[in-house]
Amino acid sequence: MSNGFSRTRDGIQVALGPLEATLLIELIGQIDALLEPPPVDDPLEAIVGLRAVAPPPPDDPAVARLLPDAYPDDPDAGADYRRRTSDDIRAGKRAAARRVRATVPATGGQTVLDDDQVQDWLVTLNDLRLVFGTRLNLSDDASAEALYAIEGDDPRRPVVELYLFLGDMQDQLVHVLL
Amino acid sequence: MVGGKADRRRVTIEVVPLATVAPEDISEVDETTEDDRPWVTIVWNDPVNLMSYVTYVFQKLFGFSLDKAKALMLDVHHKGRATVSAGTREEMERDATRLHAYGLWATIAQD
Repeated sequence: MSNGFSRTRDGIQVALGPLEATLLIELIGQIDALLEPPPVDDPLEAIVGLRAVAPPPPDDPAVARLLPDAYPDDPDAGADYRRRTSDDIRAGKRAAARRVRATVPATGGQTVLDDDQVQDWLVTLNDLRLVFGTRLNLSDDASAEALYAIEGDDPRRPVVELYLFLGDMQDQLVHVLL
Repeated sequence: MVGGKADRRRVTIEVVPLATVAPEDISEVDETTEDDRPWVTIVWNDPVNLMSYVTYVFQKLFGFSLDKAKALMLDVHHKGRATVSAGTREEMERDATRLHAYGLWATIAQD
């Protein structure tokens, strides 16, 4: 069975082999842990669900890439934006990842995605690519192109393979939609 | 066991900012109406996001035609950045948040 996406009458069909399905489930599960929000110390804030104080910028560069600084020239505005939006963005991404995980056929096979599920897949595949891309220190378009030339004995090779696998899936899905 | 001085002080400090959240937000709104230079949302080039995906997200979030979405994506790709929307600060924050949800690298600035 070949992997990939195709448009059917009922929605977008995704077909996955057993190894790809296992791999995806494993990877998607990591989004949840990675995007856990920083604790709110104040019990009152926790109850209200609003932060009075901005959480610090993420230490992990991959998380920082998933939650960009909206005001790079204005630290106060950036912190306030982070205070008001970062918990929701984290929660949205984690929820999307959990919903995607629920649609992946555990031992491989086919499933049909509705419109909302397709959006979840796009977001989650992209979030995983952003995480791997950051881990691979991709800093510009040239460094991304250079991935294709990485040799088999390079220690980055397994991660590069995953990264390119996710990119192929996402590109295929987008082209079915465009 | 009772809380020490530091604990009691903590309670006071934490209550004050919560009480002032709303007035602070309102004063921000006032500033934007006083200064009518438009705010813009900028999307920056990054080495991870696929060109096809960025094009799709522009269409999906802003309702652009395929041609317009592609032209903007190519601006991001070749020039390093493109302005994708303009309006009030609140509108730009909504756009930036939606773009962040889709993993695009978006920032907000006043023109």
